[in-house]
Amino acid sequence: MLRDAAGAEECWVALRLGARGTDVKTVLASRYPRLHGLLDYARLAVNCSYQPWDAPLRDGDELALIPPVSGG
Amino acid sequence: MVTLTTALISWDRVAYLNRWASQDGCGAVVTFVGVVRADRHEHRAVQALFYEAYREMAEPLIRQLVDEAAARWSLNGVQIQHRLGLVEAGQISVLVVVSAQHRAQAYAASQFLIERIKDDVPIWKREQYDDGTSQWAACTPELLDVADPLGAEHAHV
Repeated sequence: MLRDAAGAEECWVALRLGARGTDVKTVLASRYPRLHGLLDYARLAVNCSYQPWDAPLRDGDELALIPPVSGG
Repeated sequence: MVTLTTALISWDRVAYLNRWASQDGCGAVVTFVGVVRADRHEHRAVQALFYEAYREMAEPLIRQLVDEAAARWSLNGVQIQHRLGLVEAGQISVLVVVSAQHRAQAYAASQFLIERIKDDVPIWKREQYDDGTSQWAACTPELLDVADPLGAEHAHV
């Protein structure tokens, strides 16, 4: 869903030291305007584990934005 | 055992796994079978669902849920299979087999597992309709509006 809206499956984001998940949200919203609004519904996963949006990030972390899931 | 698979989950497999689960001193097997429902939305009907997963996260997360359930209800065994790719109406999309010594544990663990899979595991489905259109299954209408502003008719293009 987010992939379709952004037209990209993955991307690199460079952040200053001490950045948090919310900073990534801000970068992505400006880079992909169509994600605006959708990001409010997404959860953050860092290295394949759900984390709060204000979680501090480290160099090399792999982030995933998880829109509402619909398995089952 | 946790499997995400693009292959058909057959009723023979359900029978086989039930039989497997009923060994080793178990007294109760609870099996949940999720089937693709041929929903109708106004002028169109769901013909199939297309499932996608963030596999690197989905599989470990389901395994973690199984460990959690096994510790909480002292289960004898758990098998979980979830389909990916195209699943036609009437076919099995998810299978949860739980065996325990007593039914209360098996029922509780089965419900816990399927609810947590639906709430937390990064798997998504796109509804494919009989008129050739398709749309992500979303929990909230607001989200659908933002995600698909042109509406499903766009899929014709």
